[in-house]
Amino acid sequence: MRRILVVEDSVSARAFVRAVLESPDFANRQGGCEVIEASSGFEALRLLPRGPYDLIVTDINMADINGLEVVRFIRSSAHHRATPLLIISTLRGKHDVERGLALGANAYLPKPFTPQQLDETCTRLLSVERVRVGPNEPPPGGP
Amino acid sequence: MAALMRARSEKRAARRAGETGRRVEYLAFGLAGETYAVQIAHVAEILRFPPITTVPRAPETVLGVISVRGKLVTVVDLRRRFALPPAVVDRKSRILLCDVGTGEQIGLLVDDVQQVWRLASEEIEPAHVLGGEQASHVAGIGRPTASEGALLILLDLRPILESP
Amino acid sequence: MAEGGGGRGETSDKAREEFFSEAQELVDGLGRDLLGLDEGVKAGRVDPELINDVFRGVHTLKGLSGLFGATRMAGLSHELEDVLDDLRLGRIDVTPAVLDLLFQAVTLYAQLLAAQSGEAPEPEREVEDLLLAIGQLSQRRSGGGAGVVAHYELDPGLLGVLTEYEEHRLRANIQQGLALYRIRARFSLTTIDSSLDEIKRQARPLGEIVTYLPTGSGADADTIDLEILMASRASLQTLQQAIVGPDLVIEDVARRVDPSVRPARASAAARVASAETAVVPAEAGATSAAPPPDNGSVRSFVEPPAGPKKDSLAATPGPPAAAGSLRGPGLTRELSLRSASQTVRVDIRKLDRLMTIVGELAIVKTAIARLTDRVRRRAADPRELSIELARLNRTFERHLAQMQSGILEVRMVPLGQAFDKLARIVRQISREHDKEVHLVVTGADTELDKLIVEELSDPLMHMIRNAIDHGIEPRDERLRVGKPPVGTIALNAFQKGNHVVIEVEDDGRGMDHGALVAAAVRRGMVSTDEAKELTQGEMLALVFMPGFTTKEVATDLSGRGVGLDVAKTNIGKLGGVVDITSDVGIGTKMTITLPITLAIIHVLLVEIGAHLFAVPLASVEEAIVLHEDQVRTVEARELLTVRGTSLPICRLARLFGLPPADRDRHGPFVVIARVGARRLGFVVDELVGQQDIVIKPLGKSLKGVRGFAGATELGDQRIALVIDVAALIEEVLMPGEVRFLAAADDSGRTSVALDARRRIGRA
Repeated sequence: MRRILVVEDSVSARAFVRAVLESPDFANRQGGCEVIEASSGFEALRLLPRGPYDLIVTDINMADINGLEVVRFIRSSAHHRATPLLIISTLRGKHDVERGLALGANAYLPKPFTPQQLDETCTRLLSVERVRVGPNEPPPGGP
Repeated sequence: MAALMRARSEKRAARRAGETGRRVEYLAFGLAGETYAVQIAHVAEILRFPPITTVPRAPETVLGVISVRGKLVTVVDLRRRFALPPAVVDRKSRILLCDVGTGEQIGLLVDDVQQVWRLASEEIEPAHVLGGEQASHVAGIGRPTASEGALLILLDLRPILESP
Repeated sequence: MAEGGGGRGETSDKAREEFFSEAQELVDGLGRDLLGLDEGVKAGRVDPELINDVFRGVHTLKGLSGLFGATRMAGLSHELEDVLDDLRLGRIDVTPAVLDLLFQAVTLYAQLLAAQSGEAPEPEREVEDLLLAIGQLSQRRSGGGAGVVAHYELDPGLLGVLTEYEEHRLRANIQQGLALYRIRARFSLTTIDSSLDEIKRQARPLGEIVTYLPTGSGADADTIDLEILMASRASLQTLQQAIVGPDLVIEDVARRVDPSVRPARASAAARVASAETAVVPAEAGATSAAPPPDNGSVRSFVEPPAGPKKDSLAATPGPPAAAGSLRGPGLTRELSLRSASQTVRVDIRKLDRLMTIVGELAIVKTAIARLTDRVRRRAADPRELSIELARLNRTFERHLAQMQSGILEVRMVPLGQAFDKLARIVRQISREHDKEVHLVVTGADTELDKLIVEELSDPLMHMIRNAIDHGIEPRDERLRVGKPPVGTIALNAFQKGNHVVIEVEDDGRGMDHGALVAAAVRRGMVSTDEAKELTQGEMLALVFMPGFTTKEVATDLSGRGVGLDVAKTNIGKLGGVVDITSDVGIGTKMTITLPITLAIIHVLLVEIGAHLFAVPLASVEEAIVLHEDQVRTVEARELLTVRGTSLPICRLARLFGLPPADRDRHGPFVVIARVGARRLGFVVDELVGQQDIVIKPLGKSLKGVRGFAGATELGDQRIALVIDVAALIEEVLMPGEVRFLAAADDSGRTSVALDARRRIGRA
């Protein structure tokens, strides 16, 4: 059973991500999937102690505690240092994506993305043995 | 003029009922010692005496308002309407929730509710036949053959509901 | 572009419903924020937080529409987001022309949503036109001032987690000379939301919070440490006094003492080059230019005129396509203001009440089960049984009724929902017609069933269009006749008796009866003979006939017959009526009167002679204890001296003919009521409390009874009559004919009938 934490302040975007992750297709391949939702950076902080999580997905542009701060916090905590981190951004947020990767996020997905893309990226992140927790370089060609 | 027209149509209805042998059902109730009756088709519900809230400065005949499943219904004191001595409310008092299609249901306070009579046209004497001045609310007299000496004052609800 | 759902069938249906609901809320919020920005721009202030809110709204909409396959909407959002990003990062100035485009975008969003749910065709051309106009906005990128951040001793770790926007805000604040502070605080994770709200509330008047950085390692599951970076012009002492909390420390962010580094703000040249300073004039971190949330208070929006007026805001020459030409395509297609969403925002207390009733019903159910059991075991005495059942039935009935009204209550929404949309329309139309219009709103918190509010949006829009198009004169004409250059449209909503009244009033030209009749005759709507027989009121009512217009030249939508006839029909469907009064040269007033089939009002419960009554709080100024020694009688009227002024009083027990209750009372009290300029003190025996109630109309049979707007059920079948304050004030303070009638005829019935007949005639 995989536990995935989704941090995103839009209700329907969360619903969408949940729909993809809980779909029979994805869930069966993962041996079961439990999605935990956080609607803000604060809620994410509240939910982190309830880990461990197999994957954390977070939006960047959120009010108050933004996604970058969430990434930094996760990577600096003993419990979640090694958790795969996926950041969701807007295409235009090049600056933010670079920062996110530099802080230790492992992958990014620009909005809007298809269920397919989300599926593939999450599958990939859940299958690696170990993730790089230091700064990650953006792929050649830029985000 | 209107009364005459009404009487004529009632007579026609009564005759038709007689021809087909149809009987009309009347609900009888007591009021100041007399027995009155109204067509049961016009009675939506019979309520035991719920708390009535006074409406200040309403007409004398209006006792107040009650709540029936969330709807406000005006309650009329029939005794006062018919200029009869005032009522003493007891366990047998009932409120008849009446509806004649005027768009509003009105509650009528009566002393007690008796039985339902199915009257054939021969058992009904329309008001205009009675002679003399009858109040507009009296539709006629009912004499059920099944019960010797029983006399029902049949009421026309329309004038009562239209101007309580 | 993404397609939503796809193979994920049913899950998408629910998500799709949420999409509509969230999208509608976002669009409504965008409209409100833009109005706030507009007002700020007019007043010479631009609130960076509002710009950011609009940006975030569009950003979210973009994500949403992309996920759910609303391609056109996503495309529009994409372009808008770019513009808004440039705006919030200071690369483009916020000008009325730019705001025009944004307002049009909001209108288009509404249309796109309607198209998505299949209610209207897709506004293809309009979207293309708007995208073109947006594309014309050239962008002057200026990253300038990056160096200023280096002057402060900020932890590089902190700098590394700032998003681009937060960095921009930090730079902007430093450049304007605000100092930086660090607030370190520890929070319990369970109460962090309210604790932070408190800090935000304390900090807001003093400056801008740039970011919240969680420090610590997350090892402790109960608490979290935050470092809050804040910019402010206030001193450290002031902040320390204003922002307080347990485990909270505020300190300066030290400046680096490197003399070789000069703050960019000293360089005038740098200021000119940086578009950022051009955007935000003066004002220490002063936040909201937007008006406080409306709670029935008067709101006003001033609409700037269109046209090539010099834009006083931009310190630097703005984009070449400024002012006039940026005004996008006039939207010629009629659109409906109805929401695309079928959802209602519900006050959670209403739901709590429903849950309580459900709980009560559960108790009844258990009792019935027990009874059933006893019957089965033949352990029940028939008489006892029937009494018990009757009692249960009554209880059940009562709770069912409460449930019914509780659910109906949930459908109630404030009229402000429709009024917000109308404010946008006023702005749009006045710019289209090059007229300055000031919209004043009162009574936005009057509540009505959601469907009714939705149905009212379009009729009100038509009326306002008519007022701006035909009513309000162009600026020059107004000045010539001695009126202020800015026209006023007043939108008022209030309760009167058991009706809700909505007024649309303008101070424009008014309607010329003669011209109306002439136009009607010309169109063949009335014959010349009939025209002679028309009363003044009937002449004015001609505007409600289909296809009517006095303007020979077709302008925009007016040429098609403004649609007032449709408005009247729709209002009629709701059971309401529209009246119109007008004075040439002074103005026109259209009044919509809707019967309340169901409305919630806040009332003060009082006892008069052992009976309960409800007084609508909207009409109550205050309630005080009555001291009989303060009462004087002047010409048969009783007056009470309150704080030096005379207040006429009315002893309701006497007026209502109710005998006093014979038990200890705290009163009597005087409930001071006011309608317009008239005040009257109602003397009551007891004050019971304040409550929200559902007001229901009294039946037709009680139409002649003066002084009551309806009644409400208070639970366990107790009914309280709701007092019609306006009617009583009229009756007591202006006796006139009504009193005469009542006094002249002893038999209550006759006078009531007389009064009723008069009313019918008058109506």
